[in-house]
Amino acid sequence: MPWLVLAAVVVITGVVLAARSGPSDAPAARAERLDNELACPVCVGESVADSNAPESRAIRTDIVTRIRAGQSDSEIRDAYVGIYGEHILLTPSNSGIGIVAWGIPIVALVLGGAGIVFAVRRWSTTPRLAATGEDEAVVDRERHRHDEPDDEPDDEGDA
Amino acid sequence: MSKGHATRWIALSIAVLLVAFGVVLAVQHRSEASVPRLVQEHKPVPAFSLETLDGKHVSAKSLAGKTYVVNFWNSWCIPCRQERPALETFYEKHRGEPDFAMLGIVRDDDPGPIRDYVAAQSVNWPVAFDPNGSAGLGFGTTGQPETYVISPSGVAACGTLGPVTVAELELWLRAARAEGSCS
Repeated sequence: MPWLVLAAVVVITGVVLAARSGPSDAPAARAERLDNELACPVCVGESVADSNAPESRAIRTDIVTRIRAGQSDSEIRDAYVGIYGEHILLTPSNSGIGIVAWGIPIVALVLGGAGIVFAVRRWSTTPRLAATGEDEAVVDRERHRHDEPDDEPDDEGDA
Repeated sequence: MSKGHATRWIALSIAVLLVAFGVVLAVQHRSEASVPRLVQEHKPVPAFSLETLDGKHVSAKSLAGKTYVVNFWNSWCIPCRQERPALETFYEKHRGEPDFAMLGIVRDDDPGPIRDYVAAQSVNWPVAFDPNGSAGLGFGTTGQPETYVISPSGVAACGTLGPVTVAELELWLRAARAEGSCS
């Protein structure tokens, strides 16, 4: 029974978190999200949201206009890709040249994993060093010497 | 597959990936050349509707059927100042032709300095403000000066990012009038 309660708590928490973390469809939230997804076309490493360049100001205004006109987020993104090219997207798209940006880390991960597997297999098949008869004789001799009772007379006890 | 073989394949794959990445970067860099994207892709001129300094209305619609030059500029930009004599020479030569027009669109500047500059430097061609940046956005401007030559059918035939010369403008005007392209 306690396990059932625990499972129910975990499931409910997960559902609540998932529902809360979903993107908002409110026009202001969409505009803010798009402002952050688009790169300022005349800046280096700045989003439209962070930049005060004329182009960024114009894009911010235009995004609001497009949202009011009923355009979807992907339609708005596509419109700016049409004007400025793929580099306007701060997050690469999952088509065209964007596949390269997404694909390279994945391929690198797979190749790295394959490299680790090969390295581990190589190590595991390397023959381990085995003790020779001479080694074992040395160990036995030392063990015997350690185990033998001390025959030396105890000076303090005899006194 | 032997281990040595596998290692060689992995190394080769990584090398191919790196080369592919380099090629992608090189291609992207080349697309950022001095030709505006609108011209590179031979796209139709975007819709714009602006008011000139003397209060007249100018739009892509009102200029349709003409071969016209659109020049994005402002008063504080040094290359814009450098190209002004070329624009003036070119405009004075063609201003009487009925199928020709030229329009300066102000990017990122205030009315006061623009009016002063226009008066002092004999900028005789129509100049319009782009108060909300919508015209610049439509053209996909990334700075100033930027010049576009639009064909009679409304296609961005020729243009450049950066200052222009009279020779370039003449060449582009001929190409645009013939509905050709420069890209």
